[in-house]
Amino acid sequence: MKKFMPVEELARDERFNQITQADRMADGRNALIADSEKSRRSNRLTPARPDASEAARALMHGIFVGEIQALEGAGRTCWDFTTGEEAPFELKLDMARQAWDEARHVEISLKLSDWMGSEIGQYAENTVLFQAACSNDPVLRLAGVNRALEGLAIDVFTTMKEFGEIAGDPYLEFCEDWMLADEVTHVKMGSDWLRKITENDPERRKKALEFQGIVDKMFSYGGSRSDSEESSFAIARRFRELAGFTEDENDRIADLGMQALNERKAQLREKQAAAAN
Amino acid sequence: MTLTVTPDTYNFVAFDTAYTARIAEHMATQLGLDDIDILVAINENSSLTRIEVEVTDSLMTIAPHSGALEDTRRPRQQSELNTTITMARGMLRGRDRLRGGFADAPADEALSLQQAAIWDTYIMGRIAHMDIEVNKQAWVYNFRNRHGFSDAVDAVFEKVWNSSNSTWAELSALSANTVSVTA
Repeated sequence: MKKFMPVEELARDERFNQITQADRMADGRNALIADSEKSRRSNRLTPARPDASEAARALMHGIFVGEIQALEGAGRTCWDFTTGEEAPFELKLDMARQAWDEARHVEISLKLSDWMGSEIGQYAENTVLFQAACSNDPVLRLAGVNRALEGLAIDVFTTMKEFGEIAGDPYLEFCEDWMLADEVTHVKMGSDWLRKITENDPERRKKALEFQGIVDKMFSYGGSRSDSEESSFAIARRFRELAGFTEDENDRIADLGMQALNERKAQLREKQAAAAN
Repeated sequence: MTLTVTPDTYNFVAFDTAYTARIAEHMATQLGLDDIDILVAINENSSLTRIEVEVTDSLMTIAPHSGALEDTRRPRQQSELNTTITMARGMLRGRDRLRGGFADAPADEALSLQQAAIWDTYIMGRIAHMDIEVNKQAWVYNFRNRHGFSDAVDAVFEKVWNSSNSTWAELSALSANTVSVTA
């Protein structure tokens, strides 16, 4: 079986249509500025938004494909690296356990999608999550998948859990709460292994954390995640702390989110001004 | 009756004005709206799925944001089904206000989330009964989000979904009663 599979070769049937982060960022339309300034006080995904059901459905589909890519990422880590030489057996065991969790999350997200009224492939699949799982260094892989991607999952699941709680949706709240608990474990695994493997290699640790920073910014999706009310979801600081993120790390992720939001707003203003001329 | 679609060309989406006009004309005829001028003003700057409707005795203005006509599988491409549904939603809302017993309904921006949801249910039920492909479960979910997650709420949804001659007074009372029962 092939090692280090590129993102273009992910196996999907005809129901799926994949797009890249570059495709997404090339979209010059506005989902942020006009609304938050004019007719909606906040872009946060809560039931108070007029388009709450549609937005929640789209995010649930994003979670569903994200879980597939997380499963593929954890599974590839078990396969891509030589046991003992490149990655300890115990690390691979943790990744196998994570793959099992992700497979269960795929099934849960699929059932929640049915419940909310959407179908497999109804929305385009952004493959950016798996891109973070393509590094050929297992430590960078852990930083990208277990800390950045799973950290994002903590933020998203917290948002969805609160959405279910406020709306009174018992299934959504319950399922998200359980998946959130798994994600906290996955981040913790990543944090523990990162520390352990780079214990005597500060340069490698630095490189891994820098890589995580790049991925964290990518995962802010042009400002979808930050402390600003203009972002769809917030940094879930409490659950992140439980997973081993320090306050400084959470502040850094929040700053990256704000940077991404401001860059995206400037980019949209530029595109819309160019179109108006 | 004249039907106009704007803009003629697009910067951000690959939509086709003539194609949209054909779908809108067909829908207007189907809904008996051939005695009123219709303006479809697409807001391509926004990717939201919102549809704004204004109606006077002689002009119905439907202003969908581009997300309402988009193929969600292929961002920025136009979807025939979503264009059809959006035209039907806008026209039914306008027709309700004009001659369907909704003259006393508040302006769109003044509707509560529950009122908007029950009216949407009434509209989407009629669209589904026109044999247009609609994901009913999505609208059940929307109704539950606004009125509560219970069998009693689902029964109200079914009643509204299958209704073809409700008035605003009936729908708003039904929504208020449903909210108070589940609160």
